[in-house]
Order: sequence, then C-alpha cells, then structure tokens
Amino acid sequence: MQFGRGKPSAGAFLDSDFVSMDSVLALSLLYGMQAKNDCRVAMLAMSRSDLKTAGYLDLVNRFYHGPSGNFNQLQPVGMPTVGKPGQTPEPFVAVFDRKKADGAPVYHNQVKRVIETGDPNTLFRNYLEAQYDQNAFFVLAGPATNMISALDFRGMKDLLTAKVKYLVFADPEGNGKLDPAAAKRLFAEWPTPIVTVGADIGAAFPFPAASFDKEFKAVEDHPVADAYRAWKSLPADLPAPGLAAALYGARPKEGYFKISDPGTFKAQDDGKPVFTAGAQGKHQYLIADPAQKEKIEKAYVELASAKPAPPQRFRPPNAADKKADPANKVIVEPAKEPPKEP
Amino acid sequence: MITKKKLSRRTLLRGMGSAAIALPFLDAMSPAMAATTKMPVRMAFFYVPNGMILDGWNPNYEGKLQELPRALKALEPFRDDMIHLGNLTHNTGRALLDGAGDHGRCCGSYLTGIQVKKSMVEIKNGISFDQIVANRIGKQTRFPSLELGMEDARQAGDCDSGYSCAYTNNLAWRNETQPLPPILDPRALFERLFGTGLPMTPEERVRQSKYRRSILDFVTQDTHKLESTLGPTDRRKLDEYLSSIREVERQIARAENDNAQIDPKMDKPYGIPADFAEHFKMMSNMMAIALQADQTRIVTFLMTREGSSRPYRELGIPDGHHPLTHHRNQAELMEKVRMINAYHVQQFASFIEKLKSTKEGDGNMLDNSMIVYGAGLSDGNAHTHEDLPTIIVGKGGDNYIKTGRRMLVRRETPMCNLFLTMMDRMGVHDVENFGDSTGKLEGLDLS
Repeated sequence: MQFGRGKPSAGAFLDSDFVSMDSVLALSLLYGMQAKNDCRVAMLAMSRSDLKTAGYLDLVNRFYHGPSGNFNQLQPVGMPTVGKPGQTPEPFVAVFDRKKADGAPVYHNQVKRVIETGDPNTLFRNYLEAQYDQNAFFVLAGPATNMISALDFRGMKDLLTAKVKYLVFADPEGNGKLDPAAAKRLFAEWPTPIVTVGADIGAAFPFPAASFDKEFKAVEDHPVADAYRAWKSLPADLPAPGLAAALYGARPKEGYFKISDPGTFKAQDDGKPVFTAGAQGKHQYLIADPAQKEKIEKAYVELASAKPAPPQRFRPPNAADKKADPANKVIVEPAKEPPKEP
Repeated sequence: MITKKKLSRRTLLRGMGSAAIALPFLDAMSPAMAATTKMPVRMAFFYVPNGMILDGWNPNYEGKLQELPRALKALEPFRDDMIHLGNLTHNTGRALLDGAGDHGRCCGSYLTGIQVKKSMVEIKNGISFDQIVANRIGKQTRFPSLELGMEDARQAGDCDSGYSCAYTNNLAWRNETQPLPPILDPRALFERLFGTGLPMTPEERVRQSKYRRSILDFVTQDTHKLESTLGPTDRRKLDEYLSSIREVERQIARAENDNAQIDPKMDKPYGIPADFAEHFKMMSNMMAIALQADQTRIVTFLMTREGSSRPYRELGIPDGHHPLTHHRNQAELMEKVRMINAYHVQQFASFIEKLKSTKEGDGNMLDNSMIVYGAGLSDGNAHTHEDLPTIIVGKGGDNYIKTGRRMLVRRETPMCNLFLTMMDRMGVHDVENFGDSTGKLEGLDLS
C-alpha cells in the first residue's frame, strides 16, 4: 500500500531503546514490508548510547539490506552519545559467539566504536530530506528522548511537518515513564499526528514465538531468530506493541486495528499519557479488534520471517514519463537476492 | 635582517604601463619583530572529479600516517604536513528527490552545502563558504579570492542529467545564482596577477608579445631601488621570488609558441598548453606566487570539471576519465582510474613542494596554509557521497591543525562542519551554521 501515486512506498523511521525482542521484530517486520514494497526502511535509531546493541542492530540491518551497492547504500545505526547506556540485552552479544563447523564466527560485529554509528539528528535530517512530502512515518518503540532532541535540531520541525504523515508510539504508558519529560514534550510539541499503541494491544496480539523454529528456519543463519533462541526467559507468546505499531505504520488502512476518534494526549509528570477526546486533536489510539487476531498473527509471522530482499530502486517520473503514463505509475527495478553475509 | 624603517606590506614594484608586482613577505616589512609577526593564513581547495578508487586512497589504519596508499604516494615527503580525513559526507550531493545527476549535484554543492536546483536554465545554488570568507577578509588583499581551473568553463548547457554546466564547472559561488567561473588560461591569470587585475585585450597581448619583454623589465627601476634598501636575506628572497615569476613567464611563452597555430587574437585558449602537467604547473606556480605575495588568501582550483571525460594519453590511457569510473568492478578499468587518481595527486604534490620550500617567518608557507585536496564523490562507480576523499595539507598557522595522522570522524558527519571550522580559522568567527552543518569539526586541532 502506498500513500500516493508517483511516489515510492513510504519511508519508515524506527526509533527504540531496543531492550526487547519486540523492537527487533518490529524492524524485521518493516523489512518484510519493504520486500513487498509496502514501505522502505529509511532509518534506524536507538535511544541508548549502547555500542553493543548498535553492533547487533547493524548486523540485522546488513542481514536484510545486503551489501551496499550502486544507489543502495546501507545507512549507519543512529545512536546518541549522551545519556545512560542501559543494560545490553545479553542475546544481542551472544549471537556473535555463534560459530560455524570450522570454528569461524557466523556473524561479524562491524560496529565497535562510536564513529561507526551516526548522530540520530543528522541521520533523521538527512534521510527525511530524501522523502517525498507526507510520505514517511515514525515508529517509536521506546522513550521519546531522540524525538525531543530532534525537535530542537535546526530546521527539523519544518522538515517533520512536511515529510512525516504520523508517528506511531508503542506502549506510551511504559515508554513514557522511561523519560517523562520527553513524553510530555512529545505530546505537546510533535508537529504531526500521533497514534498510540497501548500495552493492551501488545498483549492482545502477541507474536507467536514458535515461528522462530518454523518460518524463520527458511534462512539458515538468521540473526533475529538466533537472538530469540539466546533469550532464554521469553514467553511462548511475546507481547508485541512495537510490532503492532510497525504494522499499523506501514499498513494503516488494512483494518488490523480499530482507531479512536481524535483527541489530545497529555503526559503527566510520571510520563503516563491521559487522553481527552476532541475533534480538533491530532492524537488517536488503536483499539484491539479481537476478530482480527488471526489476521494480525499471520501478518506478523509472514512479514517478520520474510527472506531478505534489498530495497527496490525508485525512479522519480520525469515530465516525459508523466505525459506518456497518465497513471503515473511507480517505476521500480526488480529486487535481486542479496549475497550472503561473508 | 633588522632595519629601522618598516617596508609596507602592500609595497608594489611598479613600472610602465599596467605592470605591478606585489612582494612576498620580507623581513623588512616587520623590523625588530620579524620572528613574532603573524603570517596570514591561506586556504585553498583542489577539487578532482569522478570520485576515487578508494582502496588506493584510504589508508587501512588510523592515527599516525605511515606508508601512504597508492594514490597519495607522491605526498610521502609531506606526510607530517597533512591530515587524512575519513567519513565526511555531503548529503546535499545525494539524489534526495531529484533522481540522476550525482556529478552535477556533488560539484555544485561541494563548497555551498546547498542542494542545487536541477535545471539547465534556472540556476539556483547558494553562496560558497570561500566567498563568505572572501567577503569578510578579502579587503586585506588585492584579490578577495582567485578561482582557477584547467578544463571547460562553459556556463550553460546540460552537463549531467539535466544539471547545468554551471554546477559541474564552478566551485565558487558569489550568491545563489552567480558562479565565479575559473580562469583556465595561464596568460589570463598572469595578466590578472601582474597587470591591472583585468585580462589584456587580444590587441594588447599581441603588442606585448611582439616586443617579447618580460614584466620584470618594466619594473627594473623600482626593483633596483628596493634592493638597495634590503638586507642580504631579503635580497635573496626577492631574487628567488622574481625568478619564479620569470620562470612562469617563460613557461607561458613556450606554451604560446606551441599553440602558435591558434589565432593570437583568439581570447581562449590562447596560452593553454595541451599537456596536463605543464598546464597545472603554470597555474599552480602562479597560485603559489599569489599566495606568497599575499595577493589573495583564498583560492579554489577545479583540476578538471566534474564529470570530466578527459583522456590521459600521457599515461597511456586513451579512455575518458568519467566512463572509466563506471568500471563495474572490472579490474582493468579500475587500474586505469587508480593511475589517474595518482597522477592528479602527483601534480598536486609539486605545488605542495613549492609551498613547503618557500620560507616564511620561522617556518614555511605550508605551515600557514590549509590546502584541501578532495572530491565531491567518494566511489565514482557507486556515486556515493559519504566518506568523501579529503586531505588537508598544511598546519593552518600557529600549528593549528595536528597533522601527520589519519582521522576518522563519525559516519555522516557533514562536510560543512569542516568548512565551519575553516571559516573560524580564517577569521570569520560569527557564523554559527553553514549549509547542513551540525557544528564545528571536532578533533582537527585536538584542542
């Protein structure tokens, strides 16, 4: 699904603290939708200054994106250099310990220093500038720390207003508490509509972990499945507000969820948001529709376990194309299978 | 040499007609304080087109510069005078929403940090940062800035996928719509530096050529008068300086003789030698003289236009440079590009040698300069705009730049951050943002 003709699929910006498999699966799901040309993963940022997690995310990025090529450069992971690094989830480190039969590591960590990551604000700015107007969305599955930093970045508010259609905020109650001041400012100042995905949605539509041993097996060395297997204490059904946010972000009209009437969220001092209905408000929240459970679960598994496919190249239609093609269709080049990670 | 009477920094050797020769920095210009006099800081940009073969450009190490990669071999003697920067990015060179045309964009935005308008007729860019500096400090020198080049000064037409040649053929921009076209002809540059500042008419040129007189002949009287007031060190310095001007004159005359089949009344390319190295030598020698005499402190030098398809037959390469860079990883083509990359640096190194060997105060001219050599594309085959090939040779005065090392900055760090830092170093301290800068470049001086 696309936002409009003559544009590429929407650019997805994922920002999270990446302390759970839910956020990683949200990234997998976005890449799965990229393979179906439903969105393009424009940028990935973490809100903690944790190099080990950044190294794992870079691995996942490389796994899905394949090596950089002409007009197809792999972007660095955004990571702030200030703030608390937090605890690195052990599985993100453990995947690099996996060895092949000959003793060589299955995966290589290519992010060992801060310079191998990017400044989130610079990356937001650079990759937003490459999006068509109203053809990008943000998925926020962590504290709003980076979002607020972006608001204070030169020229960013105008850029967000022009380029971003909406921000989908996963688990605003839990994530709001992680940085209450940021949550307050996010709801008060973020220039685009915000749709929240409560913890109840995450609990109502969990990710079936059994799929890691079924559908994910189609790829022998899968860094997401490997991280799950290394994560010993996870339940069979993973609460998945981040996945729901990513799914809604790229497919808002697919009917997976019901949505509230407009209103306004205001975060309290502890970061917990309170909603006040009002037709002029630009905030909404998703409502679980039990009838969609099977459809959602199927989408989660199918998209998150999709085989890697590099981004398709979008060629902007020029004036001659527009004349020749009244439908002004998107021109894409066929996806090629990326070479395997060395 | 210490004298009682101070010679003005702006002293000119004047002669008949329009001849006027600015002087290099002499001890007599700062008597009794020669050792503590602050030398002017200069900055220059040498731009090479079509990106690089990066395995020949980037060292595979960080920190202290050791053996230099193949493309940079000619700069080995100046290893301790240069800093090799990695990861600087020009986002405005990328397609963003404008499709093909990386060559047009990367050169157009190189010094402006602005996403140029994709058009052949409606030119829109921004002021380049060298011109911001020139506007601010340019009054202190005869020329606020000099713009030099070696190939194709066309300002109109399509030079890359709908981008005007104005973008591929200029580095310096006075404002949004007005590029400052480079001087390509050595004779025109000579006349600009040692005449009224304006190129001679074809008729004047013919007249001077007829009498075959050196510009030094016109200022003989003034020269003798000045020499009588100078100490031995200054006399030697002046003699070397005037000899270098004479040598440039001879080079130009030789090139003009070689081009004798071309109508002398033809404005261009009257004195442009066919040989790349010879052309570069003339232009860069005059550039060095201009910097030495403080005629300007700001120079941009487009070695060849962006997207250049110049063949390098002198290297046994009859293929065009640009087509070669679309090598699709074919070893034979890549090897040719590596040779061209190294050849360009080889020429550049001869200019650096000249600055290094020119004494100035307690050091040399290179110590008081920031000479950037770089490209607007990194991988010419992939047309990438991150990790742009960039070195700075020279210490920027007062040992400001900690040279002799390879410094990697954070990925996607805007190139404009470097420009902001250089502006500051050139005396423009109140510019907070330029292009897409996010702040000054940290770590250049380790302060």
